[in-house]
Amino acid sequence: MSLPARGLKVKNMASGRGRNQEVILKLGDVWKVYQMGEVKVPALRGVSVEIRRGDFVAIIGASGSGKSTMMNLIGCLDVPTKGSIFLKSKDISKMSESDLSSLRGKTIGFIFQQYNLIPSLSAFENVMLPLEFLEYDDSAAAKKAREILLLLGLGDKMSHRPTQLSGGQQQRVSIARSMVSDPEIILADEPTGALDSVTGKELMNILTKLWKEEGKTIIMVTHDLNLAKYAHTRIELKDGRIINVSQKPLAKILPG
Amino acid sequence: MKLRKCLKHAFDMVVHSKLRSWLTILGIVIGVASVIAIMSIGSGMQEQMSSQLGQLGGDLLTLTAGASRGSRTFGMGGGDRFVFGGGGATAMEEEPVLDRSDVQALKSIPDLALIETEISGQVNVSYLGKAGKVSLTGVDPAVWFRITTLSIAEGRMLDSADQNVIVVGGRLSSQYFGKPLGINQMLTINGNVFRVVGVLDDQSTSIYMPISMAYQVLDDKSVGVYDKITLKVRDEEQLDATINKTENKLRMVRHVTEKTQDFSISSSKQMQQTRSEMMSSMNAFLVAIAAVSLIVGAVGIANTMFTSVLEKTKEIGIMKAVGARNKDIMLIFLLNAVLIGLVGGLLGIAFGIILSASLPALMGEVGMIRGGTLVTLDSIMLAISVSVIIGMLAGLIPAYQASKLRPVDALRYE
Repeated sequence: MSLPARGLKVKNMASGRGRNQEVILKLGDVWKVYQMGEVKVPALRGVSVEIRRGDFVAIIGASGSGKSTMMNLIGCLDVPTKGSIFLKSKDISKMSESDLSSLRGKTIGFIFQQYNLIPSLSAFENVMLPLEFLEYDDSAAAKKAREILLLLGLGDKMSHRPTQLSGGQQQRVSIARSMVSDPEIILADEPTGALDSVTGKELMNILTKLWKEEGKTIIMVTHDLNLAKYAHTRIELKDGRIINVSQKPLAKILPG
Repeated sequence: MKLRKCLKHAFDMVVHSKLRSWLTILGIVIGVASVIAIMSIGSGMQEQMSSQLGQLGGDLLTLTAGASRGSRTFGMGGGDRFVFGGGGATAMEEEPVLDRSDVQALKSIPDLALIETEISGQVNVSYLGKAGKVSLTGVDPAVWFRITTLSIAEGRMLDSADQNVIVVGGRLSSQYFGKPLGINQMLTINGNVFRVVGVLDDQSTSIYMPISMAYQVLDDKSVGVYDKITLKVRDEEQLDATINKTENKLRMVRHVTEKTQDFSISSSKQMQQTRSEMMSSMNAFLVAIAAVSLIVGAVGIANTMFTSVLEKTKEIGIMKAVGARNKDIMLIFLLNAVLIGLVGGLLGIAFGIILSASLPALMGEVGMIRGGTLVTLDSIMLAISVSVIIGMLAGLIPAYQASKLRPVDALRYE
């Protein structure tokens, strides 16, 4: 499989990835407190982190560490109780919900553990959906969706419903959906969680390619340390706090 | 999202929950069909009545003996009250009649242009071996042709010099006896033979003859006593005033007061107005009943929409995650409800038209639908707009609820 020709241009960027790039996402002392009846349960306690454009970040932690909450906040699906989140230097905690939706549609592509495809729509229609919300021109949108599905080896499955596809195929459709609007950030929540190890590995290869060749910023939330190996930056969460941030030398991940 | 795309997704939603959507649509279909059918009955009645109204001259008054139930209302010229039932006739020792003295009194009223006296009854007729019983009216041949609203199809009207001649109704002439009874044919009435000089342009089986002959044919009538006196008003604008004058005059002559009044004057115009008012209020009542089923249909839509929002919570979350704005979600759900309403409305109109066409056959000769049913364009437009508006209203709250779902909660929903 080869990703679009733009890969060449992006390769140059890869040399200095992560370090010299601008900050695309910044969390400043972010708190998220859930109200459980009478009790207030803090899921995040003052998290501050900067994620640079073109980085591959793994957010790891055991269940209950607050990583899902963090992923919801990064993905603009939720707003923090306290603190600020800047996405492309816009403070999302001050944005209206509609603006947030538009920003989300343009900037972030989601890959979920349970694929989250819409069951009544075909693979092709599922991939088209983000472009429809962005009010793309019909023929341009269709062309784009078709290209990406072909690229991900789903050329013959376009008119299939999600239920007619295997788990790996469904996850590839959801990757196609996350890429189609050409977002800068791809946010993956336990992307291999529902896949067997072989399919999971294939999927990680696709993500790595997106990062290396497309220059996407990949943020992956996982509890699986094996998956975290693919990432450049590792953010470890425990009890709602960041306990460790480490970076692998690029050479180890980027052969050549 | 563009409106067209929202519409497509809304349509997909209808298609993908077939059974539930169809059941909801059925609710609207029943409501709309019954409204259409009932409105068609009303329109049919109105149509029939307005054609009758055209036949009955607006400047004619009918005077009959006996205090009829209508006398008070019509007598006072109000026309907006109609007393149901209750014959109202006070127990009289002697049956009140109209006679020559009344005619004399009427002649002294300058506001009346024409006065025509009539008697009527049932007679046995026979023609070419076939016999039957029809109604006969004895009319004043000198005045009748000037006052009647009936028109002649063939031959001529009665003339003041006429004796043993008759004018017959259209159906009596063409069908009643199996063979046509035409001009100059002889008809036997209660044993006397009469010559047909005119055929009316109507579908009746009535016979009209000079009143002098009718007294001989109808043996229970005494000469000089009339069943009915028809009056033509000189100025139609002064109808109410003329009625008042006529009543006062007759009360004087007949030595009665307003309370003991033993005659009644009705104007065909007022009678028609009252009837049409009564019928339109009855019609409104029926439509209101039918509208209840439409409201039930609307509740059905709202119910379906709420269920749909619950069922699609996760999808709403997904859509929001991939960039759907609140108004996109709102629009999709609202359009879904409108589509259900619209499809229901269209099918309801189709069923309503079928229903109204078959109503006369289903219900037989019920008085209300004797005039047939008529589906008007107005009622179709009304049904469509009402069903769309109902869909929109019923979908409003569920759609709003859907649009306000927080993506993080919606995505977590299983």
